Amino acid sequence: MSADHSTRHEELLPAYALGAVDGEDLREMESHLATGCAECHRQLDLWQGDLEELAASVEPVTPSETTRRRVQRIAGAAAPIRPRPPGTLRWAALIAAASLLIAVWSGWRQARLGDELERLGAERDRLARQVSGLDRQLGLARAEADRMAESLAIIASPGARSIQLAGLGPSPKASGHTFVSPERGKAVFYAFDLPALAPDKTYQLWWIEGGKPVSAGIFNVDERGTGSVRVERAPQVAADAWAVTIEPAGGVPAPTGEMVLKG
Amino acid sequence: MLDFSGSFGVAAAPAVHLFMESRPSPDDAHLLRRIASGDGDALTRLFDQHSPVVLGLLVRMLGGRAEAEEVLQEVFLQVWMQADRYEESRSSPRGWILMLARSRALDRLRRRTSQQRREDEAAAGEGVAVRPVGTARLEAAEQRSRIGAALGVLSPEQRHCIELAFFEGLTHTQIAERLKAPLGTVKSRILLGMNKLRQALGTS
Repeated sequence: MSADHSTRHEELLPAYALGAVDGEDLREMESHLATGCAECHRQLDLWQGDLEELAASVEPVTPSETTRRRVQRIAGAAAPIRPRPPGTLRWAALIAAASLLIAVWSGWRQARLGDELERLGAERDRLARQVSGLDRQLGLARAEADRMAESLAIIASPGARSIQLAGLGPSPKASGHTFVSPERGKAVFYAFDLPALAPDKTYQLWWIEGGKPVSAGIFNVDERGTGSVRVERAPQVAADAWAVTIEPAGGVPAPTGEMVLKG
Repeated sequence: MLDFSGSFGVAAAPAVHLFMESRPSPDDAHLLRRIASGDGDALTRLFDQHSPVVLGLLVRMLGGRAEAEEVLQEVFLQVWMQADRYEESRSSPRGWILMLARSRALDRLRRRTSQQRREDEAAAGEGVAVRPVGTARLEAAEQRSRIGAALGVLSPEQRHCIELAFFEGLTHTQIAERLKAPLGTVKSRILLGMNKLRQALGTS
């Protein structure tokens, strides 16, 4: 008990423990406690004990599972940060603090935005799939547009020639068109109404120059019987004729099979 | 293991157990030592054991369930970081945690504007029903508990003043203004009420 201990201090202690003392009373109580009055400190601990019981008098409320998970995440994240003697392991403490902060931050963020993130994640995946699909389609469309543009350039070039091919024996209704651009040295060929072939067979386009067939490329037809060939090195002079034969898959150096188109 | 999940009115036995455990529990003190050495499982165990009463206090003080759960997490983060500061000779582990929670809740109350507070109180209705001390349900629970019996010996005015100071963090002057009562009256209500409380609790 300090020299200036009085009943007044004892009377203020319960309210002081409650945190209710203010003004001049507060200054007086604090300066008295600062003297280290053992009796007042002992009494204060007892009052605190009573208040702990008052705190526990409330109706308990079970926390949500989310809060429990957050606390578990804190416990699993990093060792507690405690003050260390100066100069020892400062970096380790900083790193531990950083990892704990990150854990707490990510815990909060995850808990609060978990559902939203999940929804956005699913939406992002869906959009990514859509974009990737559209990209692929765009790539194909661009390639197709390029091919069409080149073919058009050949067909529309000055001095372009058009050769019509007619169906023969097995496919009388079939037809074909070859457009040759002497200026570009290229040609395009389109076939229509040709039947689909077995997988080990292919159609092969030829031009006849001086009685000798020269391969212009191989092609297959789609379900509508349409096929095409772009000839990168077309004959410089007008060919004697153009023809299509059925050949083994991969094509052959000289025609061996049945002729289905000629013109 | 204590079961705090039931309400006071329904689960009488756990409630009695809750109040009888006011002195340092060797198990809890051991858990705090383990937490101080970085044992995460011990933190989870301590949380499971005491979070319902801590959350009950926070809901009582703050009103809003969401904010109370937020502060509950902060409290256990503080326990995780400061378990080595716990002094077994001065308070029970539960008492220490409750006082950490009260201190944090009071900080929040002081920061809060009266407008925000009204909004939170309105929002509290969506979470858990917060009953002021004095409802029939809580009174029934109090009859079965030590603190309940102790509170029962206070006059309503003494009890109200103590509750305003404890749960809302009001000072003598603020309580006098709130109740439009003379300052001296408020001071004596608190002093007499606290002394009655102590006698009823049997603290020496």
